[in-house]
Amino acid sequence: MIFDSYEAYRAAAFAPKVCILGSGPAGTTIARKLGAAGIPVVVLEAGSREFSDDSQDFYRGSTVGDPYFDLDITRLRFMGGSSNHWAGWCRVLDKQDFEPKAWAPDTGWPISRADIDPFLPEVHNILELPDFKPDVPISDDVRWVQLIKSPAVRFGEKFADELDKSKTIAVVLNTYATELAGDGKRVTSARLWSNGQDAGTFSADYFIVCTGGLENSRLLLWSNQRSNGGVVPNAAALGRYWMEHPTFEGGNAILADYGEFEVDAVNEAFFSPSLAAMERLQIMNFGIRLIETPYAGVKAVIADLACTAPDMAEWVAYQLSQNLRCAAQLYVAWEQAPLASNQIELSNTDVDHAGVPRIKLYWKKSPLERRTLLEGLRLFGTTLVEKNLGRVRIADWIANGEDYPTNEETAGHHHMGGTRMGTDVTKSVVDANCKVHGMDNLYVGGSSVFCTSGECNPTTTITALACRLGDHLSKVITV
Amino acid sequence: MSSFVRKMSRRAIVQALIALPALSLFRAQAAVADPPSADPNEIVEVNGWILKRSDVA
Repeated sequence: MIFDSYEAYRAAAFAPKVCILGSGPAGTTIARKLGAAGIPVVVLEAGSREFSDDSQDFYRGSTVGDPYFDLDITRLRFMGGSSNHWAGWCRVLDKQDFEPKAWAPDTGWPISRADIDPFLPEVHNILELPDFKPDVPISDDVRWVQLIKSPAVRFGEKFADELDKSKTIAVVLNTYATELAGDGKRVTSARLWSNGQDAGTFSADYFIVCTGGLENSRLLLWSNQRSNGGVVPNAAALGRYWMEHPTFEGGNAILADYGEFEVDAVNEAFFSPSLAAMERLQIMNFGIRLIETPYAGVKAVIADLACTAPDMAEWVAYQLSQNLRCAAQLYVAWEQAPLASNQIELSNTDVDHAGVPRIKLYWKKSPLERRTLLEGLRLFGTTLVEKNLGRVRIADWIANGEDYPTNEETAGHHHMGGTRMGTDVTKSVVDANCKVHGMDNLYVGGSSVFCTSGECNPTTTITALACRLGDHLSKVITV
Repeated sequence: MSSFVRKMSRRAIVQALIALPALSLFRAQAAVADPPSADPNEIVEVNGWILKRSDVA
């Protein structure tokens, strides 16, 4: 069932056991799992079926530190959530991403990759993915890895019919949970905002917060403030350890054989370090995206020339009426060191139309990450030399230690951390089952539970964790 | 553009330019001036390029 308003939902007299906040990949996946298990669940979606400026306005906020996207641009507030502008890149976090790294404080998860592996067949079905190919080591230090460019499932579109016909799932649009109330053991109710006004409170046996990698922290911070600590009793880490995937053009490459590496449909290949190389260099994980320009003959010569003598190559390309680029561009995205100082706070001065404080995001890249960028490119370049596969040129600003450029894409729109998973209540918010520490009926879904970010896009892992949480709750909740 | 260049064939232009990439590599030759016993397989960085020493010999 899909209701366009809270008033219409109330008239239906549906009695849910579980209330899920948010209809993005995590919320929709958990709802489908619970619904399939016969557990009545309501999904409260703050937005409507389509994008609207009025809804997006609730997402405005501010950022302190490094330049970042406007917070009402980097996510979407309508049915399906940010899957609506997802590019579709898929890969699951690697086994090594779950392991603690002695050289990087506060790394490591309380679960392993093996804990989500059983759910990957479901994830492939949901995201319409073929099987991943195994990594291919090109040296002891660097491996070719596969990121699949999926059809970019829009969860709101793909599952609308299924949800509408469901007897166990009710999706309620235009219904914003502004705060949760709790007594330090249980969430007792959610306060709702609908049609531009307070819509009273709502109760269910269980609540699952799936409002996104920024909004989860905002909702819980505000709820906890209003409930005097009754929603997140152990709140030392709430909002903290927020992470992104900084992304910059890192240089160029000339390859000896442009058929050496398997590329995808858009001539891109991806490379990541081995755990041993990360440990030896004391760096974080990273992904190098190599974009080939598949020229042949004279065009290939000129394209390679564009790496080494760009002005001359531009001239000759002009003479030959060709729009040629350097033979291969290298883009680097890397894992941020989890830092408590990268955090989401509530604004003291700015609130949304419902009176909820907006986000003030503190975000800064660390010296460890800068070293990861430089040493990662060196590692890749050295590997190509040693294997006689090609040559790499590191971009001047990186090689010379200059500031990050301000005219590039900056990051991946990947919002991770803030309600991270862990066993230490001073450094985490949820346990290995995504249940908020100390609370009996409050869970969190989505990338806000990530302890570390790895190097790959988060949606595949988000969906896998959602399947796992849905499976867990379907065994815990009795109907 | 000079008339000389305009008269050159595309093939001649390309052949001439094949040699030019080395010019940018050699701009920082001082950093990798070869000692007599230098290992040609040693990896060096020149102008951001990660190369074998023999690449710039």
